[in-house]
Amino acid sequence: MSTIDSHTAARWVDDHGECLYRYALVRVRKPEIAEDLVQETFLAAVRGYQSFGGRSSERSWLVGILKNKIVDHFRKLGRETSFTDMEFLSDEFSEKFVSVGFWNHDLGPHEWKPEPDEVMHRAEFWQVMRDCLSKLPEKIRAVFTMREMDDVPSKEVCAILSISDSNLWVMLHRARMALRECLEMNWFDTPAGGTA
Amino acid sequence: MPDEPYNPSPIGNPSVLARRNWWQTLLVKFIGKHTPKCREMVRILSQSMDKPLPLVMRIKKRLHFLICCWCQRYEEQLHYMRRTAHEFPGHADEASNVPFSTEARERIKRRLAENTR
Repeated sequence: MSTIDSHTAARWVDDHGECLYRYALVRVRKPEIAEDLVQETFLAAVRGYQSFGGRSSERSWLVGILKNKIVDHFRKLGRETSFTDMEFLSDEFSEKFVSVGFWNHDLGPHEWKPEPDEVMHRAEFWQVMRDCLSKLPEKIRAVFTMREMDDVPSKEVCAILSISDSNLWVMLHRARMALRECLEMNWFDTPAGGTA
Repeated sequence: MPDEPYNPSPIGNPSVLARRNWWQTLLVKFIGKHTPKCREMVRILSQSMDKPLPLVMRIKKRLHFLICCWCQRYEEQLHYMRRTAHEFPGHADEASNVPFSTEARERIKRRLAENTR
């Protein structure tokens, strides 16, 4: 038996619907799937309201439910799609290293400033982050976001997507290389990012 | 540089140890030869985000960082990305201006109303 009234539930949709939808869209790309996930999130929130208890903000609580829904979505997808398809994993960053394996010093990582605490207040940073995430190949993005955004332990990511440990390491490595490169180019090396 | 294929220290290398004098040159060569090359080190660093490295590899990593500020930065940036990625969901509404359609909003409200009364 739910203890929440329809006005409160409707207010959730107005207050948090957009944030949840935009997050879901970054994760799954398809608007109709993102809308379904948001709906399932609110329905689960209504059903589980008694367990909320106000220990975190409403937003964090709802985001937490959405993360679980997204993981469930990928679990289902993992049963239907092969996540071990490695064709997009060619070494795109080989030019970063000289033939003997050291960094090409002109192309190695630059210093990143400011500190994370400072960039977190900058909407532009999150826009760049979203753009960079959306440039990752779909399966690599799924693996990376599940691991780094949803905090799913690596063993569980393997189980959810039916991939081996070694596939996981390769996919995470490629995702981190690509995301690092994109953030550096589009944020940290620009005047907005502050180190240009 | 065919006679020194493992030289990781160009002129102006800002790392702690660079080839600034004869003994640093010796150390840089020694460390460069006995620790993983950067291409391999970045893979190891990525893996270390998910499982602890064995002690010997942790020592090799520390030694490698002495001669390579780029790998050291790379590791710092992996943590930077983890921290910010973790915070991303709470900032998703700032990250995009894609509208949440009125139709979807109203449909969800109707479904919720059915489930609350």
